[in-house]
Amino acid sequence: MEILIHGAVSSAIYAMLAVGFTLIFGVARVLNLAHGSFYALGAYGTYMATALLGWSLLPAALMAIVLVALLGVVIEKIFIRPLRHSQLGVLMITLSISLVIEQALFLIFGSEYRNVPAFIQSKVSIGGIDIAGQRLLVVAVAVLAIGALYLFIQWSRLGSAILAISQDAEAAKYMGIPSDRIFALVMAISAGLAALAGVLAGPFLSVQPTMHLLPIMKAFAIVIVGGLGSIPGSIVAAMMLGYAETIVAYTISTSWTEIVSVLATLLMLVFRPAGIFGKRAAF
Amino acid sequence: MAISFSRLHSACSHSLVAVLSPLLLLLQMPATLAQAPDNKPVRIGVPTAVQLQVGRDTITAIKMAVDEVNKKGGILGRKVEYVVADETENPETGISAIRKLLANEKVDVLIGGYTSGVTLAQMPHISAAKTIYLGVGAASPSVTNKVKTDFDNYKYVFRVGPINSTHQARALVDYVANFVIGELGYRNIAIIGENAKWVQDLVPLLSKGAKEVGAEVKLTELFDTQTSDFSPLLAKVKSSGAHYMIVIVSHGSSDILAKQWHDAQVPIPYGGVDVKSMDGDFFKRIGGKSISQVTVNFAVRTPLTKKTLPFFDEFKKQSPNYPVYTAFFAYDAVLLYADAVKRAGSLDTDKIIKELEKTRHEGVAGEISFDEQHDLQTGKGKYNMLFVQWQDKGERVVIYPKELRNGNFILPPWMKK
Repeated sequence: MEILIHGAVSSAIYAMLAVGFTLIFGVARVLNLAHGSFYALGAYGTYMATALLGWSLLPAALMAIVLVALLGVVIEKIFIRPLRHSQLGVLMITLSISLVIEQALFLIFGSEYRNVPAFIQSKVSIGGIDIAGQRLLVVAVAVLAIGALYLFIQWSRLGSAILAISQDAEAAKYMGIPSDRIFALVMAISAGLAALAGVLAGPFLSVQPTMHLLPIMKAFAIVIVGGLGSIPGSIVAAMMLGYAETIVAYTISTSWTEIVSVLATLLMLVFRPAGIFGKRAAF
Repeated sequence: MAISFSRLHSACSHSLVAVLSPLLLLLQMPATLAQAPDNKPVRIGVPTAVQLQVGRDTITAIKMAVDEVNKKGGILGRKVEYVVADETENPETGISAIRKLLANEKVDVLIGGYTSGVTLAQMPHISAAKTIYLGVGAASPSVTNKVKTDFDNYKYVFRVGPINSTHQARALVDYVANFVIGELGYRNIAIIGENAKWVQDLVPLLSKGAKEVGAEVKLTELFDTQTSDFSPLLAKVKSSGAHYMIVIVSHGSSDILAKQWHDAQVPIPYGGVDVKSMDGDFFKRIGGKSISQVTVNFAVRTPLTKKTLPFFDEFKKQSPNYPVYTAFFAYDAVLLYADAVKRAGSLDTDKIIKELEKTRHEGVAGEISFDEQHDLQTGKGKYNMLFVQWQDKGERVVIYPKELRNGNFILPPWMKK
């Protein structure tokens, strides 16, 4: 029962991270190594607005998510777009952006851990298991956010445009779909989702300048396991990884959890490079 | 990606080291052989982790002590200066920091340190430069064991603080025996700690000692310093049947541990060695979620010696927070070095070492004296481990040892009947 609940929390955070990461790859073929930085900035933005500016939590969180989404658009437009023809160029530029953001956070906030307030302070008991309310909120919000994204892509006009580009960017362009504008939109969604994960997980996970590394590692592992560019794949893989880690932590030792995701990545790359749901190997 | 970059970096700096170190040694020779002309200031090199509270407080405390010494006419009539280098928590950066201080800044003495791994990596360079090093942050016994096993090479190294981890383990066992079992009546304990060298040294001693005093150790587990989700571990502790949780953590994220413990309202009080929780602003930083947590400290604002209150109050004027442990030792180190040089009557390294060995210095929280391997001694009247509890509004109360107690133990709010 404990494994069931805690695994769901991990899976939810991972899914929010991985869906955005895989979306921007699936649509724009951008492997965004700065994805973890959006997560970090979401948490830091909320910290800054609540602790330093004295805002209350909800407007602070919304402001942080919107700002990070806008930042995503700016980064896409200024840094990524000129290099999009080269996968390697995109990798390098997004890696540099993530390092610059990390150092900037170091300079501004120092390397101490910071506190992001929780939306729900009380604990909840489910079947004799005590769990912090904030964690359950994460699961609920993740389901809603990803569900909404799914509906948006399946049912709206813009969503169809996104789908069209992800299937064949060239053909979509000839059909008159403004691909640059769609890329910017997808980048905003992707960055916003990562920031949302940061805002929600900040209260119980760490908020400090190198916090972007863990999410990028996990997102990477998940999309490789699930298939790069496949949203259902990354949701399934996020759940697999979330549960696998929780099971290892319960049955073996907490110090073993970190190896699960890297090992999964390695095995997948060796035996099925396309991932579970991928149509073809991405590399 | 990040990994391969740091590899690349380390490969480069290794080859640089190979080429440069003989050169650097040559450069240092004149500085140590020839005495500086009389009017030249005495320079203190401060290698520390400037990004962290331990580092920032080291610097503030050194500044306070240097100002004090200069006000009284300096050392041997010379002005005292200090220069800082960032050693971070990474041994390689630590070595270049030491090198910068020794070769470029030509300092007369080094006062600083935090991470034991960094200090150990720096020691060969310190010994090669024949410069006195007064450690104020690293707790691993390995540091002063080197002085014991290779005295001629490592006699330059002294640990002004903190109390080394073997003594810390002994103090923790006393705490478990006399307080956790003796006063609180919790016989079942769980021990959790970060997977790091000093904890691996400490846990077996603690676990053995605790069993000897009648505790039942229900669970012992080390976690990765990168761990960000402690809920599985906390659930395990809870289901192990433990009534008290001993936590040993320095580099790991004890902030998250406290938050997650609080938010899940784990019905088990906890305490131990939690270095980040020694920070004056820890309580505030995590939104008061460390309420009722106990952590060791070496001083709090209570009159332990006649220097304690003046030091804390002066420090508070210069910094937004109360000082962490490195500050007490850094302040003491500057003053006891100044005394030793005064007694030696010159800046001759060997003479100063002889005088440092005889040190009986009244420090911020107790007398400082060194044993034969240049390690800080503990005992009555000297520096001791205080067990301090976070209470309402972030107040810190000494609950153990009994003779220094200034308040009563409280349970976590959700456990109160």
